[in-house]
Amino acid sequence: MISGCSEVYVFNFNMTTLSPDIYERLVNAKVFIDDHFEESLHLATISLRANMSVFHFHRLFTKVYRITPHQYLTKKRLGKARQLLSTGSLNISVVCTDIGFESHGSFSTLFKKYQGLSPQSYRDNALQKQQRATANPLQVIPNCFLTPEISKK
Amino acid sequence: MITRLSHATLFVNDQDKAYDFYVTKLGFQVKTDASLPNGFRWLTVTAPEQPDLEISLLSPLTGEMGYDEETRNAFTVLLEKGALGAGVLYTPDCRASYEELKAKGVVFKSEPKEQFYGIEAVITDGCGNWFSMTQTK
Repeated sequence: MISGCSEVYVFNFNMTTLSPDIYERLVNAKVFIDDHFEESLHLATISLRANMSVFHFHRLFTKVYRITPHQYLTKKRLGKARQLLSTGSLNISVVCTDIGFESHGSFSTLFKKYQGLSPQSYRDNALQKQQRATANPLQVIPNCFLTPEISKK
Repeated sequence: MITRLSHATLFVNDQDKAYDFYVTKLGFQVKTDASLPNGFRWLTVTAPEQPDLEISLLSPLTGEMGYDEETRNAFTVLLEKGALGAGVLYTPDCRASYEELKAKGVVFKSEPKEQFYGIEAVITDGCGNWFSMTQTK
């Protein structure tokens, strides 16, 4: 239950500070998203972790992280998608469901919107870069870091 | 014409530990991780909202970077002391980041404090560096 006094705002240096208890609860909710973003998550479920109403949680989370809970969840999912696409061989439909999206179409559209590339193009680029780095690391490492003479002068 | 900084080097005393700190704990993304047969490892990471600035996490302690023994010893002392102040990390909310990272086992030199320019805590990477973690006004 949210106690009134735990939500006192202190205004200082034109910055709004929340109480330590509120921070702890918001962090709990954020970490909950970090740990469960692959699942089907609803705002009500997440706000429960912060022991706040949906409205109150949405407002405070957005205030603290400068991003809405839904935007943060999307960011986490797309970050994981980039990792899976660039390091694994999972089918793109599997990647889509593995990161919590229900529709392949909405995943592809959103991925392209944020990344500027379709999931397949992103994967192709990442794999090419990875193959190049593995086959010939000298193509990706600036030569000056490998030149002992430079560090001795 | 130079138009931007694309790479910045951060010397660390252990690249695996650095990977754990910057990637696992801070949530940075690995941009390149390539190794040469002689053991030189080129590991670069980027901050979540700054994908075009690669931070290369390099170890100056091994022979592959070409530093002589005297220089390596000097680096060893500085990195073991955690004496290298490496920069300022921006966070939208210093206290929230402090609570979260503390729970993940990150060591801080100081707790969030009000400063003239914002709220600041001092964070250590456990690999020889410390940063101001600041929520600017």
